[in-house]
Amino acid sequence: MKSIKILGTGCAKCKQMDAIVRQVVSEIGMEANIQKVEDIQEIMEYNVLSTPVLVIDEKVTIKGRVPTASEVKALLS
Amino acid sequence: MEVKEKAKEICPTTTLGRVQQGALLVDVREKEEVAELAYDVPNIMNIPLSIFEENFTQIPQDREVIMVCRSGGRSLKASYFLMNHGYTHVINMQHGMLRWAEKGFPTKGSVQVQNTQSGECCSPSATPTNSSCCSPKSDGSSCC
Repeated sequence: MKSIKILGTGCAKCKQMDAIVRQVVSEIGMEANIQKVEDIQEIMEYNVLSTPVLVIDEKVTIKGRVPTASEVKALLS
Repeated sequence: MEVKEKAKEICPTTTLGRVQQGALLVDVREKEEVAELAYDVPNIMNIPLSIFEENFTQIPQDREVIMVCRSGGRSLKASYFLMNHGYTHVINMQHGMLRWAEKGFPTKGSVQVQNTQSGECCSPSATPTNSSCCSPKSDGSSCC
């Protein structure tokens, strides 16, 4: 099962990324553990200053912007 | 994954005392924010968070640095970033310029501008409160 984390302190862009990721995961019917991480200390374990951040299987894939659905789909396949 | 040690945090009153004893303030707000309202202390650097990764090495490692921003969120991120890069004398100031200005501590610029801005990017402490629990002796861990 894929582990997906969306790192962000609750801003609008973080919420957008969360929605897009959930939508894509549901569309492709993937089994995934999706977690929204809002705690700054936990976010900084990935040493990223700009949010939102998409972490897939503990690897930072996108940071500081909202990805498109097709981008997320490509990253998950 | 980086270190999991919790960042040390202090309130504005404690910060003012530390600055008077020689601590360096590092303001991570953007240039436009600083132009509107700045911390008026002798030892201060401005390294906006947007260019922090490329410029953080300007911050000395051998003296106490206190990270500040508008409400304490961005500076907390920057504090952890520095800790991840081996800085050991880093402290975050909670509640940022909002509380600093509210307490009447030294500033340059218009306090009114600061009070009318949105706090979108500095959660979780973007909303100032009226508490006045900081004393100069407090370590800030449970106050403000």
